[in-house]
This record gives sequence, structure tokens and C-alpha cells, in this order.
Amino acid sequence: MRKITFILIALFVGTVAKGQSDFKKSLSGIEWVKIESKTDITVKTHSSNELLIKSGPEIKTPDRAKGLKLVGAGGTDNTNVGFSVVQDGNTLIVYNLRKNKGAEIYLPKSQNIAIKSTWNGDIEVDGFSGEIEADAQLNGSVKITDVNGPVTANSLNGSLEVVFGTVTQDSPISLYSTNGAVDVSLPSNTPANLSLSTLNGNVYTDFDVKAEDRDGLKSLLGRNVKATINGGGVKISMKSTNGNMYLRKK
Amino acid sequence: MEALSDEMIMQKVADGNLDLLKVLFDRHHKHVYNFLYKMSGNRMLSEDLTQDVFYKLIKYRDSYNNGSFLSWLFTIARNSLKTHYTRNHKSHEDIEVLAYKAVEEEQEVMENNAQLQHALNQLDPSDRELVILNRFKEIKYEDLAEMMGSTPGAIKTKVCRILKKLKHIYLENL
Amino acid sequence: MENKHVLDQIPDYLDGTLDNETMKAVEDHLTNCMECQKELEEMRVLFKAFEEEKTTVPSDRLKAQFEEVLEQEKSLQGNVVHMTQDKKSSWANNILKVAASIALLVASFQMGSVFQQKKVDKEIALLKDETDHMKQTAMLSLMENQSASKRIQGVSYIEEFENPDEAIIQALANRLLNDENDNVRLTAFEALSKFTSSEKVKNVLIEALEKEKNPSIQVAIIQTLVQIQEKKAAEPMKRLLEQEDTQPFIKEQIKAVLPSIT
Repeated sequence: MRKITFILIALFVGTVAKGQSDFKKSLSGIEWVKIESKTDITVKTHSSNELLIKSGPEIKTPDRAKGLKLVGAGGTDNTNVGFSVVQDGNTLIVYNLRKNKGAEIYLPKSQNIAIKSTWNGDIEVDGFSGEIEADAQLNGSVKITDVNGPVTANSLNGSLEVVFGTVTQDSPISLYSTNGAVDVSLPSNTPANLSLSTLNGNVYTDFDVKAEDRDGLKSLLGRNVKATINGGGVKISMKSTNGNMYLRKK
Repeated sequence: MEALSDEMIMQKVADGNLDLLKVLFDRHHKHVYNFLYKMSGNRMLSEDLTQDVFYKLIKYRDSYNNGSFLSWLFTIARNSLKTHYTRNHKSHEDIEVLAYKAVEEEQEVMENNAQLQHALNQLDPSDRELVILNRFKEIKYEDLAEMMGSTPGAIKTKVCRILKKLKHIYLENL
Repeated sequence: MENKHVLDQIPDYLDGTLDNETMKAVEDHLTNCMECQKELEEMRVLFKAFEEEKTTVPSDRLKAQFEEVLEQEKSLQGNVVHMTQDKKSSWANNILKVAASIALLVASFQMGSVFQQKKVDKEIALLKDETDHMKQTAMLSLMENQSASKRIQGVSYIEEFENPDEAIIQALANRLLNDENDNVRLTAFEALSKFTSSEKVKNVLIEALEKEKNPSIQVAIIQTLVQIQEKKAAEPMKRLLEQEDTQPFIKEQIKAVLPSIT
């Protein structure tokens, strides 16, 4: 009986401790936040200038690991939420050391972010105006919504979906997938130079794509399309080797 | 060609590659036309003046001084408009003011978004010009400064002030 | 910044043209200043009106006439002078009539260059050298940028050069072989693929084929090497066939094209 009470108390204390242990770190002097994870990563905006990693409710460390730190390829857990966070010059490197659980990370809206998923993790990013780099190296998909800044993203087997808000900058946008579909939504009045290419897929769009090449209009089905919309502007390059490509008006 | 800046293309035009002017025409004629149309409210006039602007580009390509192309282009456009009204209102002393007032008198009925145009028309001609250039073509403060012979900082402050004024008028009439 | 209003920054904030630091300051201020929030919302309404304002489209006449005048000017420019008097449009005639006033108009622009006019040829040659040099510097420095998008921008600058020199090709090769970002490598490949007549570029592509792990880039390199019938590409392709982690569609592609270059 005594033993059980002890365990219950221990569990309770443990839960409370974990519940309060969201990890925060100031971002002053940080230009880039680089995130690497094997599992799902969701990045959202918040209004303070700091990194916030939500620990989530059901994290439990194995009993045997009591007093020990989680160690992974990316470093040692120095956050108590299963992440290693290290500053390198003006870059903050954030490794998710856990291999079986997704994470939610909050950053200020204008932050520049580079995210890498090295296994099955899906990458989701919402609402940023800074620069976004996303790289799903194996099976993960990439979904980036409500972004204004330059986006550089690629995926191997997962789909690549990007929904742009107003694009207000002129740094190039580059979106590639090998086996997944590339699905992009863009405000209809975005001035841009588009370059769409696919090897084995097709290109679908409701933009009034006026191909620069006179015969190009027909090649809208498959292969390469270069086009100028709304008088030309930001360079948007989309490529899918085996998947289809969808470019939608928003 | 798409990646070449206006300035580099214009440099090549000045060097004698006249065909490249087509690129510049395609890139900018709609903006020039819209600027003139928003300032004058007269389609025919705006088309004629747009022709005029690009004709000058052909004619005076040698005098391009490697500065911001947009500043140059829109300086020519502004001058064309001014000259047009100067010519048509020779008798009056304060030519510029009258010229711009005349715009509204001969204005055709605006088909769409009359509210914004109406608000724009309440502004002083020079203010209206600045905000149209800044908003519709998104000409940078630096280029505007070059056109108006001012500094980017001063232009920014000015644009800000005009936008506030315009916003006030616009919201009031909404 | 805490207590100072950010009214003057609001238009730029909406345009997204503020630098990160100012942007953060504005955002911080906005969270607890009702006045500025109100200004922001009102300005947003106005900006929306600007955005929704339809642009009017000039008639086709405009373009047709422009091209006509341009052709005339071109014929005047060359040594061969075509007798096109009768074809001159009425528009052009009208324009000629006001040529004097035009001259006056652009005078302000010419003023600055009157002195240059005499030595204009020399100057232009110099300028071109200068812009080429500036472009190259800009390109090379962009390619070292921390941001992948900026590096892509740097790589895309290649379109500005007709005959890129060794330094540029080397910089592009470094991107293709060593950049950690797949998008940058792919863009660098696309840039280099336009210069396959260069022996150096060929060798770089072959080296890249041995190193590259991204299947999209692999297949693009294979296609280019086959297109230029590069025999030296056969060996690395065979190795890819033997490797377990090569994607099946790459292997199929190689099997299909290998006979054509061996």
C-alpha cells in the first residue's frame, strides 16, 4: 500500500513538473533558427521574441532513466523537453532528440527558419513572414501556410504544399519534390516569373499562364513552362520529378 | 532575359540593341498607362501620353545615365503629363494647379472603385502623384527621392503623411 | 520604442519591407497600443482598396504603334536606310511636331550627361566592364549567403553573363558539389547545364553524379550528360545501378539511356 501511494505521488509530481516545463529561450541576436527532427514538427507564430517548445502532456521518461539525460545524435537534452538547443553564432540549432513523438514549436512571426525532417516527420509551418527553408529528406511531407517571405522547400517522397499570403519580397522562391505532388496557392495578383517543370508528372493551373514560348501553351501538360504573371516579379521555381504540380489562384 | 534588371537592359538599348526596348515596353507600359490614367482620368489621353513616353525612350536612349530606370521612366511620364496641361492652359499664371484641377473637370465617369479614386482626387496633385507612384507601382522610396529631388527619409515621411490623410478621406466617405 | 508610437512604420509594416529588428519592435509595440492597432486596421482597409483597385488595360493599338515606331527607328539606325516615308503613322508625325518640347522635357536628364556625351563610347565600355565586375562581385557574395533563397538568387545571376569566367564557374561548381541545401544544388545544376561545352563543367557534372544523393538532381544530371553524349558518365551511372539506395526510377532511367552512351 505504501509502495503504491509512493508511486502515485511520484507520478503526480512528475506530471505537474512536466506540465510546467515548456522550454523557452530568448532569441535576441538570433537570425536563424535551425530545427532538425525525425518526427512531426509543427511551427507556429507567437508574439514574444523567444523560442518556445511545448512539451506536450504525455511525455514520460522511463523509470530507469531517472536522473539521466536523453542523449541523441544531435546532442544532449538540455531543455527537459527532449530537445537539444545550442547557439552557434547568430544561429540557434534546435534538435528534436525523440524518435517517436511530434513537437510544437513557437517562434516570432518574422523569424528566419530552416527545418529538416530526416525520417518520417511531417513539417508544418504556419503564418511566418521571414524566410523559410524546409527539407523533408525521406518520407515526410511539407506544408507551409500563410507565408510572405522567400520559401525554399523540397521533399523526397512526401507532398509539398505551400499557401502564400501576399508575396512582398523579391528573393527567389524554390519548391522541389522528387516523388510527391507540389501544390502551391498564390494570390491571383502576385507579380512573378514562374518556372514550372516536371519530368513525369503534369502541370495544372488556373493562372492565366501566358507562356513566353509561343508553342509553350500546349506544353502546360507536362514538361517545362516558363511564364510571366502580372507583369513579372519574384522568381518562383517549381519542380517535381515524378509527381504532379498544382498551381492555384488564391 | 527575365532576370536582367531594367537598368541593364536600358544600358544595352543605349548601346544600340533597340529590340530590347520591347522587353521594357512589355514590362512597364501598363504601369505608365495606369499612372497617367489615375492622374488624368482620361483613357485616350493616357494612351497617347503612354505612346509619347515610350517614344521618348527610343529617341533619347543615349541620354540614359545609368540611374534607376523606373525613376527615369516615370520622370518622363510626369513631364509628359505636365506638358500636356501646360500646352492646353497657356493663359493661366498658375499653370500647374489649374492643369491638375482640369483633370477632374474632364474626367470620364470612373467605372469601378470610385471611392478610392474619389478620395485620391481630394488630394493635392503632387500628393496624389506620390501616393499613386508609391502604391500602384510600388516604386521604392529611393527611386521616388531620385525623381523628386529629395531624400528617401523625407519621401517616406511624406508618403506616410499622405497615406494618413488619404485614409481619413477614404474612410469618411465609405 | 516601447512608449513611442509606430504610426510612421505602419505602411512599411503592412508592406513587409521593414528589417527584422524594426518589425519586431513594431509588433511588440502593437500588442499593447490601442491607438496604433486602430491605425493599423484602418490602414489595412485602405491598402486593401488599393489592392482591389482594378488596373485598366490600354488597347492593343498602343503596342502595335509602339512596335511600328521602333521598327522605323531601327531602320534609321542601320546603314541601310529604308524609304518608309509613306508608311509613317500619323501618330509619329504628330510626335515629330512636338519634338521641340520633348527635347526641353528631357533636358534635365540630358544635363547630367552632356559632358559624357562626347566620350560616350568609352564611357559605356567602361560602364559595362564596371557593371560586369559589380555583377560578378554581387553574384559571388550572394552565393556565400546564409540564406538559401539568397544563394539561389546568386546562382540565378548567371543569366546575366554571356561568357562567365573561371571564378564564376568554380563558384557554381562549389554550390552544386557542396551546398547543403537541395534547392540550391538543383539551381546550381540548372545554371551549369547551360555551359556543357566547357570541359570543366562536364567534369563537375560527372563528379556531382557520383556524390549527389537527391534523386531529382541525379536524374537531371543524367539527362544532361546523356544529351551531350558524355562517355565518361557511363562509369558513375553503372555504379549507381549497383547501389542499393538508388531510387528504382533512377535505375530504370539509367538502364534506358546507358546503351546510348557506351
